[in-house]
Amino acid sequence: MANIIANLNKAFDSRIRLGIMSILMVNDSVDFNTMKELLELTDGNLASHIKALEGLEYIQSNKQFIGRKPNTKYLITELGRQSFQEHLNALENLIR
Amino acid sequence: MEKQLEDLKAIREMMEKSSKFLSLSGLSGVMAGITAIAGASVAYFYILGQSRAVAVPMLLIDAFLTLVISIGFGILFSARKAKKRKLKLINSVTLKIAYNLAIPLATGGILSIIMIYRGQIELVAAITLIFYGLGLINASKYTLDEIHYLGITEIILGIGAALFLYHGIIFWTIGFGLCHIIYGSIMYKKYDLK
Repeated sequence: MANIIANLNKAFDSRIRLGIMSILMVNDSVDFNTMKELLELTDGNLASHIKALEGLEYIQSNKQFIGRKPNTKYLITELGRQSFQEHLNALENLIR
Repeated sequence: MEKQLEDLKAIREMMEKSSKFLSLSGLSGVMAGITAIAGASVAYFYILGQSRAVAVPMLLIDAFLTLVISIGFGILFSARKAKKRKLKLINSVTLKIAYNLAIPLATGGILSIIMIYRGQIELVAAITLIFYGLGLINASKYTLDEIHYLGITEIILGIGAALFLYHGIIFWTIGFGLCHIIYGSIMYKKYDLK
């Protein structure tokens, strides 16, 4: 049992991070506001979780400008995809 | 255990919510079908008997009105359903649907207008059915699975309309009228009544 739990990734313990990763798994890139609406979060709350995931290099940001407004898009990295997949497998093994 | 189950559920929900528009209402389909049958009846009973000079502009107006009214109903019912589920009607997913649907639809529309002005009105039923079907298949990856099969049905009917060139309007009425009503009712029963 301890062995299986060890495969769970602590970075994905929070429901919000789980949400961010789920969205980026199935979308090429998603901007900050769309993510905020989907997860029903405030700016600050989302930003802190995004920063944490960026720090782990699970996601990366892509700053662009639409006219004068900055628009940041987020993408999942190869490492992020792999780690999330492992986490998913661990979850599924646990409930089996 | 509880948390893991909840986590998996949350993951699945978020993946679906962020990549698919599931608020498409079955009622939109039913209303679009009824509108199409009305539009086709007007064409069949009042327009097709007229001389070409009168028939062509009237047919274009009839087609245009049918299209606008069906799309209007589609947006109306889906907006209502989206509101009920506390979702926005216009988001990145619905824009993708609109874009993917619009390209084949506009291509078919332009081609149809060219055919009408070249005097090949018979081909229009086949062209509109086929391009509409392609549009649906193109957009279906962002919404309910039924749309994919509706698309295939429309393409088959379009090919039928091309084979039986002078019965195009029958195929058109089945495709845009009957099929919308049938698929719309199935979707309404399956998703909306829940």
